[in-house]
Amino acid sequence: MTQALQDLGDYIAAALSQEVLSAQLLSDELVIIVRGAAIQRVMTFLRDDANCQFKQVMDITAVDYPEREQRFEVVYNLLSLKHNQRIRVKVNTDEDTPVPTITGIYSAADWFEREVWDMFGVTFADHPDLRRILTDYGFEGHPLRKDFPLTGFVERRYDDEQKRVVYEPVKLTQDFRNFDFLSPWEGMLPGDEKAGKGE
Amino acid sequence: MGVTPGSTETGPLPVPNAGQNAVLEAAAEELNRKGFLLSSVDALANWAFTGSMYPMTFGLACCAVEMIHSACSRYDLDRFGVVFRPSPRQSDVMIVAGTLTNKMAPALRRVYDQMPEPRWVISMGSCANGGGYYHYSYSVVRGCDRIVPVDIYVPGCPPTAEALLYGILQLQKKIRRTHTIAR
Amino acid sequence: MAEAQIKNYSINFGPQHPAAHGVMRLVLEMSGEVVDRADAHIGLLHRGTEKLIEYKTYMQAVPYFDRLDYVCPMNQEHAFCLAAEKLLGIKAPERAQYIRVLYDEIGRITNHLLNTTSFALDVGAMTPMLYGFEEREKLMEFYERISGARLHAAFCRVGGVAADMPAGLAEDILAWTETFPKVLDTIESLLNENRIFKQRTVDIGIVSAQEALDWGFSGPNLRASGFSWDLRKSQPYAVYDQLDFDIPVGKHGDCYDRYNVRIEEIKQSLRIMRQCIEKMPSGPVRVDDRKIAAPPRAEMKSSMEALIHHFKLFTEGFHVPAGETYTVIETPKGEFGVYLVSDGSNRPYRCKIRPPAFAHLQGIDFMSRGHMLADVVANIGSIDIVFGEIDR
Repeated sequence: MTQALQDLGDYIAAALSQEVLSAQLLSDELVIIVRGAAIQRVMTFLRDDANCQFKQVMDITAVDYPEREQRFEVVYNLLSLKHNQRIRVKVNTDEDTPVPTITGIYSAADWFEREVWDMFGVTFADHPDLRRILTDYGFEGHPLRKDFPLTGFVERRYDDEQKRVVYEPVKLTQDFRNFDFLSPWEGMLPGDEKAGKGE
Repeated sequence: MGVTPGSTETGPLPVPNAGQNAVLEAAAEELNRKGFLLSSVDALANWAFTGSMYPMTFGLACCAVEMIHSACSRYDLDRFGVVFRPSPRQSDVMIVAGTLTNKMAPALRRVYDQMPEPRWVISMGSCANGGGYYHYSYSVVRGCDRIVPVDIYVPGCPPTAEALLYGILQLQKKIRRTHTIAR
Repeated sequence: MAEAQIKNYSINFGPQHPAAHGVMRLVLEMSGEVVDRADAHIGLLHRGTEKLIEYKTYMQAVPYFDRLDYVCPMNQEHAFCLAAEKLLGIKAPERAQYIRVLYDEIGRITNHLLNTTSFALDVGAMTPMLYGFEEREKLMEFYERISGARLHAAFCRVGGVAADMPAGLAEDILAWTETFPKVLDTIESLLNENRIFKQRTVDIGIVSAQEALDWGFSGPNLRASGFSWDLRKSQPYAVYDQLDFDIPVGKHGDCYDRYNVRIEEIKQSLRIMRQCIEKMPSGPVRVDDRKIAAPPRAEMKSSMEALIHHFKLFTEGFHVPAGETYTVIETPKGEFGVYLVSDGSNRPYRCKIRPPAFAHLQGIDFMSRGHMLADVVANIGSIDIVFGEIDR
């Protein structure tokens, strides 16, 4: 299985030498990183080539790495029923550069791309209907970005005077307790005289 | 609990609304004796309200499954005159079963506004009570009492069907001691 | 004759509709009673699960998976545990794997019972639901006996399961698998040849093989369109490679086939459950690594080290080596994937949940076009959607 995937990775890298930046096995799963502008070509090849036959796109998602220059990693998980293989295609992009849509190649990509746009703010060029999908109508921001706070900025309440449900700034009686287990114990406890001495 | 096959019957079921039956029997007897019946309008109204609570099926999330279970074969809410209605216009109780999100909140309020008076709300499960497991999420209303006034809170995640049943009985008690007409 | 101008009008189906199986808003553009376009608005149950998981340790994240598809809670925990175990490079003990598979199949039956019977309710048959839900009650009792909760078990843990099976449970489950087929026969006899049920489902919402691939269908919906594809067979996880079962495959891809595939899967699940109980070895139910799995209760009362391990595990949790995986399992609804990215800390860096019903609901548009309004209800019922996992 592992060998077959390795061979497939080499084959794809050879066939699409212009587009594929790297092809490697990560914990027994084939991952290829491609240039963003070429995603449509890569996907068409992966779908139609006799050795690939990845007829199904199972999942499209993204990961946010704020410290990188191109902070978003758009991840496509494809499945081939014929060869019983999976492949993961990755594209790096930033907030402004749109990724070409693959809705023309896989119809299923429609909602998945809308979700990535909604959650991360990655735009997809030429997507037929790029609306928000999961968050509220009129929601601002992209919740799964690492710089978006967990509790968001607004909360809802029924206003008895206006007779409708209104948004107001979020106000918590107790904040989410976020312990930092990676730091040493010093500095966490109140009244800890060792705090700050370590430096 | 625990089930051993073949012995799922748990003996004779307790008579639901035993108190109500006693009242009914006393009323019937008086009617036979005198030919007429004296009661306060409130007592009559409350008797009618508690005997035919029609909740709205407002299943939002996980708790909806338990709500359906309470209405199905084993717990059978029909015994208490509780029949689920699909339309807010026909119902007088709303069971908010599940997580209420920001996107859903206006719809919940609209449905509540459509219900005829008098109306009651049961908040079912920790998500509806106060956000619960999703309290700190950016998209969840931290308690459905921010949107509609709640009468009964049923705790649990999700509350068992029995717990919901108990909540409905508590609501009946609550209705009995309210005075709708004489204030 | 003067030509009557018929204007398209739109109908709001939901967000509060008894046949929508939860909270969905479907904006239907109709010409007369024929659906021109179905635009599903989802997200009315979007609870921010993926964001919350990033703020919780791996162990605290497990119960979120119960609450995704709340009709078969334990299956999804299994997926998350498999993903975390893959990154950790460990494998649960064999007994734990058998318990997981046993409860996966119980989950499959609870799911299919709810779906097929409430689907029947949507198209006009009420009785099957009353039969089906009594059996679900019994299955929920099995859940309760092993985990203490009727619905949200939080029972699968990374590195095994929370506890061993209590005495007598295996026998009771086995006895139930003997009595249940009779009830299933009753449900089938009420529906299979029922004229109204067939009129409402046969040739409604046909999904061709090509469409099923294109729209990313999986699970029973894919099998109903003629693919013999089941992750339990083709990419076996846990102990499915040691169990003997068949995959039902449909022919036409219509609502009736989807219903039939589910009913047949219930029967196969019964077979798997019997084999699980038969083959279940004795042994530990958690890995013997105190950094990942909690020590036994009894040991904690006497051993200081066990106490420290317990404290560390339930406050800080365990650290998962950096890496990423897309782990899939076959939940009753289809391919449930967890794309887990770890940065080496005690909390997931990113956890994307791939809900099968998300892709299925997306297909409601092409499935409903040209059908009557009432058929939309049949379509929604037959693709088996639960909003907890679609909206997350």
